[in-house]
Amino acid sequence: MDDLILKKVVKFITPCIQLFGIYIIMYGHISPGGGFAGGTIIASSLVLQHITFGKNDMHFIFRKEMALKLISFSLILYSLIKGYSFFGGQFHLPHPPVGVPGNLLSGGFILPLNILIGLTVSSTFYIIFTLFSNE
Amino acid sequence: MEIFSIMMLISLMIFSISISLIKSLLGSIIVFTVYSLVMAILWQQLNAPDLAITEAAVGAGITTILFIFTLKRMRPDHSNHSDNKE
Repeated sequence: MDDLILKKVVKFITPCIQLFGIYIIMYGHISPGGGFAGGTIIASSLVLQHITFGKNDMHFIFRKEMALKLISFSLILYSLIKGYSFFGGQFHLPHPPVGVPGNLLSGGFILPLNILIGLTVSSTFYIIFTLFSNE
Repeated sequence: MEIFSIMMLISLMIFSISISLIKSLLGSIIVFTVYSLVMAILWQQLNAPDLAITEAAVGAGITTILFIFTLKRMRPDHSNHSDNKE
């Protein structure tokens, strides 16, 4: 779209939306939120940028092929970490790690799992959007 | 605060009945978005802020965009007919 006001506003507001999504992902284990909610917020910012600046400008930032590679990498790493947490004994069932409010690294494996879920969900929603928008 | 929740519940019923009755597809999508937004406020009233964040991001953000792009894709096929027939 050729609208100067829209482009300026989107340039200003997109990093704020992405920062909010990253906050929700990072603090998902000690405050409301989590990987899925933060991932959808980041995906909505990507979709906003794709609508405003078009397909060609978006290719400098985030390609569809790169999103597919990111999904595969995240899912493999997720299964490895979660499988280690299942079979590693003292990490999972008897005492699941409950985070302490105010301490970001107190959740055990929940923080990296949330980050991987956020990467997967944001890339998946962006790919679904590119399937819907006729190029 | 109880009266506010009851008012939102009644408005949710009105929205969900009117989504299926509105003839215009774009108007129905907009009413569905408002439904998701009111539902997010209601989740917050029910002490479920996690679900409120997810409902606001998915229901009001992603689903609306996908519905509107689906509507945009199916418009040119029906452009020779009248718009309010379907």
